Amino acid sequence: MNHKAVSRRVAVSGVGAVSGLGWGIGPLWEGLRAGRTAIRPFERFDNTAHRTHLAAEAADGDVNGLANDPRWQRLLSLADRFAVFAAAEALAMAGLASLEDSEAGVFFGSSTGGMFESERFFNEFLRGRWRSAKLRDLASQQVNAPGDAVARWFGVSGPVRTISSACSSGALALGAALDAVRSGEVDVAVAGGSDSLCQLTYAGFNALRSVDEGPCRPFRAGREGMSFGEGSAVLILEPLEQVLARGAEPLAEFVGAGSACDAHHMTAPEPSGAGAAAAMEAALRDAGMPAGEVGFVNAHGTGTPLNDAAEWQALQRVFGERAGEIPLTATKALLGHLLGSSGSIEAVATVLCLRHEELHPVPTCSEGATVDPELPVSLVLDRPLPLPGVKAAVSTSLAFGGSNAALVFSRWTDS
Amino acid sequence: MSASIVVTGLGTVGAYGSGAESLRKALASSELPVLSEIDRSAGYHLSQAPRKAFLVDPALLREWVPAGEARRMSPPSRFAVATARMALRCAGWSAGLPDELTGVVISTAFGPASYSEGLLKQILLEGPESASPMLFMESVANAPAAQIAIACRARGPSVTICQREAGALLAVGQAAADVAAGRVPRALAGGLDEMTPLLHSLLDRFGALARNSGPDGAEISRPLDRRRAGCLASEGATLLLLESDGSAIERGASPLARVAAWGSAFDPTAPAVGWGTGHAGLARSLRRSLERAGIPLERIDRIVTGASGSRSGDRVEALLLKEAWGEKPLPPVLAPKSVIGEYGGGFLGAAVLAAGGAPFGPTFGFEELDPELGIVPHDGSPLAPPSTVLVTSVAAGGAVSWLVLEAP
Repeated sequence: MNHKAVSRRVAVSGVGAVSGLGWGIGPLWEGLRAGRTAIRPFERFDNTAHRTHLAAEAADGDVNGLANDPRWQRLLSLADRFAVFAAAEALAMAGLASLEDSEAGVFFGSSTGGMFESERFFNEFLRGRWRSAKLRDLASQQVNAPGDAVARWFGVSGPVRTISSACSSGALALGAALDAVRSGEVDVAVAGGSDSLCQLTYAGFNALRSVDEGPCRPFRAGREGMSFGEGSAVLILEPLEQVLARGAEPLAEFVGAGSACDAHHMTAPEPSGAGAAAAMEAALRDAGMPAGEVGFVNAHGTGTPLNDAAEWQALQRVFGERAGEIPLTATKALLGHLLGSSGSIEAVATVLCLRHEELHPVPTCSEGATVDPELPVSLVLDRPLPLPGVKAAVSTSLAFGGSNAALVFSRWTDS
Repeated sequence: MSASIVVTGLGTVGAYGSGAESLRKALASSELPVLSEIDRSAGYHLSQAPRKAFLVDPALLREWVPAGEARRMSPPSRFAVATARMALRCAGWSAGLPDELTGVVISTAFGPASYSEGLLKQILLEGPESASPMLFMESVANAPAAQIAIACRARGPSVTICQREAGALLAVGQAAADVAAGRVPRALAGGLDEMTPLLHSLLDRFGALARNSGPDGAEISRPLDRRRAGCLASEGATLLLLESDGSAIERGASPLARVAAWGSAFDPTAPAVGWGTGHAGLARSLRRSLERAGIPLERIDRIVTGASGSRSGDRVEALLLKEAWGEKPLPPVLAPKSVIGEYGGGFLGAAVLAAGGAPFGPTFGFEELDPELGIVPHDGSPLAPPSTVLVTSVAAGGAVSWLVLEAP
């Protein structure tokens, strides 16, 4: 026995986000509701020599005074800044002014940490221009840097753990945070993920020919691949009783997490969807919830032909005949793929949809407007779908290397 | 959490060789450790930079990862698959696992560094369309975990933790929690890293490595010593097979150690690439964690520290231990990184062997007490086998992790 022998109910008490739709939850929810994609030409780096030229870039925005802090520019990479902003917003929403005297921990996912800045260093260093290569560009290069930056910024002295399991990193970090709050290891978990656009992943996925030249079209006929995004999302997790005791209202209850591996191929999903289904089933088992209570799914939905097909197979395994009826959205159609942060921003989108009792749509696009007849999901198009009384939702993350994760949230009602 | 967790398999590869026996011999020895010349031909190194590191002889892996399989893997993936197979053999599963439910939780500080470097060269120097799909798919941090899953048919959770030097103990803790909670019947857990010339040169530029600090300019690290000036970099992997006590008993497996507790904390005073001054807070967290696990300090009769010879890192680690114990004397302290190096998981293997009562030689490189730290590590004299071993690891950037292992 390692920690207190308890299993506490866990509430989401605050959320924060940076995405291609803007800095903050306000612009995120407004854009999601409108089904407005942030995938467009971008300027984060010169992409003229790359095969594709679109991404959901988080433009400079209002950073609520954080930018005036001298640490902001000097010590933090872009991914760190996204993370610190999202954490600050989430903590403010939760009504937690300080974490210095709390039993708090940080659980983060990231795929490349400060690689965007590191590329400046390596661009000089690898050409032998030693003097032009600034070590400070590497200072926040580590994958653990965004999570560490959040812990440092808010004075966290409890556990800090970064998971880097490609596109399921953020969801796995949320699962680890759920365990830590349930077990009593921490009383507050700052959980999420952060990644910025960088050439390494942009060129890498293009090398695999898994990037659509237009905005991605998850589950649509003729889809050709993913689109990139960047940003961060943070959820504040606390014991439900603790949130209620201070008179705050939970945004949702985080009831289950599960993961499983395809053990099949480094980049291709297992076509039967068995691994993804095992993750969803584990999450529902953890939640003690039958699949029939799930009101909608926020799918991993990258828009690659193989991923979406495998995910459809997985949905059929879990939901049976309901697979084609259960309302489904794919946040990546609006925000692009945030890689190590995708699981966390899609978790935030799921929580917001539960709270507002409506499911955000994806845009109809001129190409591939129809759902792929081979994958007849109930994709919500163009307008939000009202879901009054919706009980719960599943968010999935299916990563490189077959690492699958699923999260289950339920709508908070005081009854 | 309910089940008691035991280690029934240990796979390890490093400059010391492959397998637990090679590591055991290196730890017992009082000889100068075997170091290899690092390739400086790329010109990355400063003229006064160290020239050596603990490197893996690739021939050691061939028995475990055939060439046809290895060609699709980065060096860390080869280390991972080789040590996973060693751990399974050690645990009595040479013929394969009885089901596909095994979890994999591993840590890496730097990921597949050589493949990332190769990919960056292609993208930045030759243009993005030169990027190789093979280099990309093996450059992601979780590629070694995925390769283990594929090689061993392990379809439980697959998790890669990146938390610098604290990662390996965190991975074992997370895997132990998964097994204890009944989410998986068993898990492979541990740490790995490769040491490339580029990475070695960058660690030196950040001041992390020992430079000519021994007699006649020899490169040695001096854990906890007053004149310590950096660590020796290493590569390799160590993976453990964890399962419940009940499972081990049922199939007649012999535990190497018992995982009694795990925990972690963070020092928010630490800068992103160094260590801070928050040892008192870390000590409070350690004590609280042990109290929660029902382990009084008095029961701990051996400490395996991650002290590597780092000027600031060893200071934090020593002061947090001194603070945690207060007026009470510390039990014998082992500091094995001067013979196995920093990074690559050898430290985790050393901790498991320590819990099993393996003899350790005198702490190589330690000669002079640092009065501020006040710790004299093990001098090589015979020690009674321990019952409860505290293993600590302090990472650059602020993370700290610990494990409590008990004798089997």
